[in-house]
Amino acid sequence: MALGLAAALGSTVLAGYAPAAYAQQMTDVGTPRAETLIVDMLNARVGNPTNMNMYQQGVAMSHGFHQVALSQLYDIDTAKGTQIPGLAAEMPEALNDEYTQFRVKLREGLAWSDGQPFTADDVVFTAEMIRDTPALAYSAAFTDAIASVTKVDDYTVEIETTRPTPRLAIVLGSVIYGNAFHVVPKHIWENEDPATFTNFPPVTISAYKYRDHDPNGTWFLWEKREDWQNTEVGQMIGEPKPQYMLFRSYGTEERRVLAMAANDIDILTDISPESLDILRNQNDKVRAWFTDFPYANLDDPCERGIHFNTSIAPYDDAKTRWALALAINAQRASIATFSGMMRASPLAIPPTTVLMDTYHQPMAQWLTEFTLEDGYQPFDPDYAIKLGEQLRAEGVEGIPEDPEQLRELLGVGWWKHDPEQATKLLTEAGFTNNGGQWMKPDGTPFTINILAPADFEVQSQRLAFAVANEWTQFGIPTQVQQMQAGAFFTAENTGAYEVGSYWGSSCAITPDLFVRMEAWHQDYVRENGMPASHNQGRYVDAELSALIDELRAIPADDEQIVPLGTDILKELVEGLPVIEMFGTSKFVPVNETYWTNYPSADNYYEGPWWWWSNFKFIAARLEPAAAE
Amino acid sequence: MRLLRYIAGRLVVYLLVVVFGLTVLFFVPRLGPTDPIEAMLAKVASQGAYMDASQVDRLRESLADTFGLSGTLLEQYWAFIKRILLTGDFGPSLSMYPTPVMELIMNALPWTFGLLLTSTLIAWVLGNFVGLLSGWKPEGTSSRVMEGIAICLYPIPYYILALVLSILFSYVWKIFPLTTTIRGAPWSWDLVTSILWNSFLPGASIVIVVFGWWVISVKAQTTAIKEEEFVRYARLKGLGDGRILTHYVLPNAILPQITFLALQIGLMFNGSLITEILFDYPGLGLLIYSAVLQGDFNLLMGTISLSVIAVATATMVIDLIYPLIDPRIRHR
Repeated sequence: MALGLAAALGSTVLAGYAPAAYAQQMTDVGTPRAETLIVDMLNARVGNPTNMNMYQQGVAMSHGFHQVALSQLYDIDTAKGTQIPGLAAEMPEALNDEYTQFRVKLREGLAWSDGQPFTADDVVFTAEMIRDTPALAYSAAFTDAIASVTKVDDYTVEIETTRPTPRLAIVLGSVIYGNAFHVVPKHIWENEDPATFTNFPPVTISAYKYRDHDPNGTWFLWEKREDWQNTEVGQMIGEPKPQYMLFRSYGTEERRVLAMAANDIDILTDISPESLDILRNQNDKVRAWFTDFPYANLDDPCERGIHFNTSIAPYDDAKTRWALALAINAQRASIATFSGMMRASPLAIPPTTVLMDTYHQPMAQWLTEFTLEDGYQPFDPDYAIKLGEQLRAEGVEGIPEDPEQLRELLGVGWWKHDPEQATKLLTEAGFTNNGGQWMKPDGTPFTINILAPADFEVQSQRLAFAVANEWTQFGIPTQVQQMQAGAFFTAENTGAYEVGSYWGSSCAITPDLFVRMEAWHQDYVRENGMPASHNQGRYVDAELSALIDELRAIPADDEQIVPLGTDILKELVEGLPVIEMFGTSKFVPVNETYWTNYPSADNYYEGPWWWWSNFKFIAARLEPAAAE
Repeated sequence: MRLLRYIAGRLVVYLLVVVFGLTVLFFVPRLGPTDPIEAMLAKVASQGAYMDASQVDRLRESLADTFGLSGTLLEQYWAFIKRILLTGDFGPSLSMYPTPVMELIMNALPWTFGLLLTSTLIAWVLGNFVGLLSGWKPEGTSSRVMEGIAICLYPIPYYILALVLSILFSYVWKIFPLTTTIRGAPWSWDLVTSILWNSFLPGASIVIVVFGWWVISVKAQTTAIKEEEFVRYARLKGLGDGRILTHYVLPNAILPQITFLALQIGLMFNGSLITEILFDYPGLGLLIYSAVLQGDFNLLMGTISLSVIAVATATMVIDLIYPLIDPRIRHR
């Protein structure tokens, strides 16, 4: 696919074609191009564009509604890795030691897009509306966590939870992407049935309001509010420069790439590294996160690795899992997956900038000294240096020489590629090698089937094939079974898999690891065949669960957060329920023809998460290129 | 009497085909590995919304209830058949809940029909005309050129052709839009021109590829038929080329083309998947594709049921009108 595009576009270069930008151009939806920020829509076309009731399951929101028109009580500062107040004026204040009662102060001076003031009445109404409308799928989940929301004054509410909740802000605010809890305008919704109300056109709370849309759902146009000062963005950042935000779908990756090459789109969501290469060659205004290798942003909050259903033999034995880890040459896997443009991670949290500083770097010494039962030290702290040398030898430019810089860029290290030790561990686990064919302890041939995404998550897809190649070379015949999203997640949740190329539980963005680490608790293990809400790997570890219980009981700003997080990560290294491999590399290019001051590696005020709720804070910092 | 028996027989077969098709459609997705509730939960989880396990459990129960997936398979089947046959209601889309499936289909249908009907008919008329002439005078220069073009176009993978057209006419020469952007007030001239403008490239890509097939197939028919004895007899009778071509060759060469055209029209309810994906064209193909990816049972059944009914109906209509076109069947 990319090859075809490269060949076709290559001929246009030979023909001397270069896209021209005209500041006075209009977009095809009738707005001045120079005043319009055009953003790629994450989930392509929207089938039901005139339904913007965010509480109905199946209503799309990533067409700008969620990013620039709505707002959460709490949002996330992805550069610092901390939650921040959004509609709330400050983080919630616990009123008792049990963490069941909280005072939440709301930001004053905010108004809805129809001019009505935003007050505590809206928050209380929203909570009661959700509770009183069981037809909303979120109603049961919300009621399960929140007991009551009561008004204290116009800008203060008190919230009572059903159980100790030291992290109320993650229940009601965004950590990754967003949160289901959206305050609605009481004066609009109180006259409607929330189960059937389409909320269209919506009355919004953030700096942009609905302007127009395509009845076929391919684009949505949002316009800056005249009273942008009365929004949280206005108060926190100032006036956003783009007069219009056009979220649109260009369909396939080829068309999205063509659109950016032609300056028809300013911000793209995920593309492949090959497409980025084509784009950079076609248009010198296109820039990636890093200007040189590895180009991609490496701070995605979920990392990719090889997951096991640990309730199924032989993957229920940590020795088997360790043997499989040591049978992988991570350098080769990295190059095979994304040409080495990935940061390795031996820990169960992604190697983001914040978490590298908090966990990966501080734990490097422990990892080096860590031993398996037989005293073997599996960690290779020189992984990044070796990969750097290999990449340089292959002619890749921009690879740092300094070992520390390399570790920072490509990871603190990974497990050794040691087939001998892998063989030893498999033998100890009861496997036998019968003339080159590994036999399981039960005497049957050992073959592996890796479940992998078929039509999404390209990094996990490629990683599955790279690891399959490694294991096959080691002597275990391995194949990859690709599934489309619905079937893939059904298999994952119901335990209908043995080995999978996944990303689900190994996520974090803040130093407080509770949000996803909690999923490893053994209480969430379900029998295979029953859908599991957490712990899809069905991993049972009493010590790990005890640590999670300790973490659960303390708030996000407790000084024990990092030490406890560290202990949890150590426990996960020892048991290795997942072979964590690489942080996710996001190739999310921007075009600087019309807008500048995008976040980037050397201008890191936010991560490039255009599809998250905090995109509004990025959009408000962009500057028109013409003004430079 | 024989005619009535013929019609009744065809109608019974038609009904059996439809009910059998709907039954298969109901059970096949449920035998597959996708549970729409798990797919929906994964969508919520992959978007990062934090919910503890107990909240996810509540959400799972709530979704099963909402989507009407509670009850035994047999109960769900009877409810489905009754709903479809009596009311034509496919229920709400699961992935775009609570939008009714019929609403989504009715939104997509005009686009698919407009695009495919127009381009198929243009390709059919052009292809058959050129093929007929090429087959009639195969040694002529124009015949050879047309045949050469058809042979060159026919094997080009559609995907490549569509991509090349896009690159040439939407990127290098920005004549047509890169993506479908329909604008204009309802029933206005602006809307009509916008639709034509946006549909030109997708339509042209279909015409170019399908045209080749029609040329090749009708040319083969014509070449064979013109050597038939009845054509030779007509020539010996002293009839002119035009009359032989229009009254002797064309009616025989066109018969299989009409059958195939009718089936093509029936298949339009499947949309043109690759065209719609490549050009981001809002038709039924894109809808079916999204239903498969999301495990949206209702939407899948709605779109494919229509296709089953359309193909069965098209076949029945052809069966019924064939005696009018082909005297041999009338005699039988």
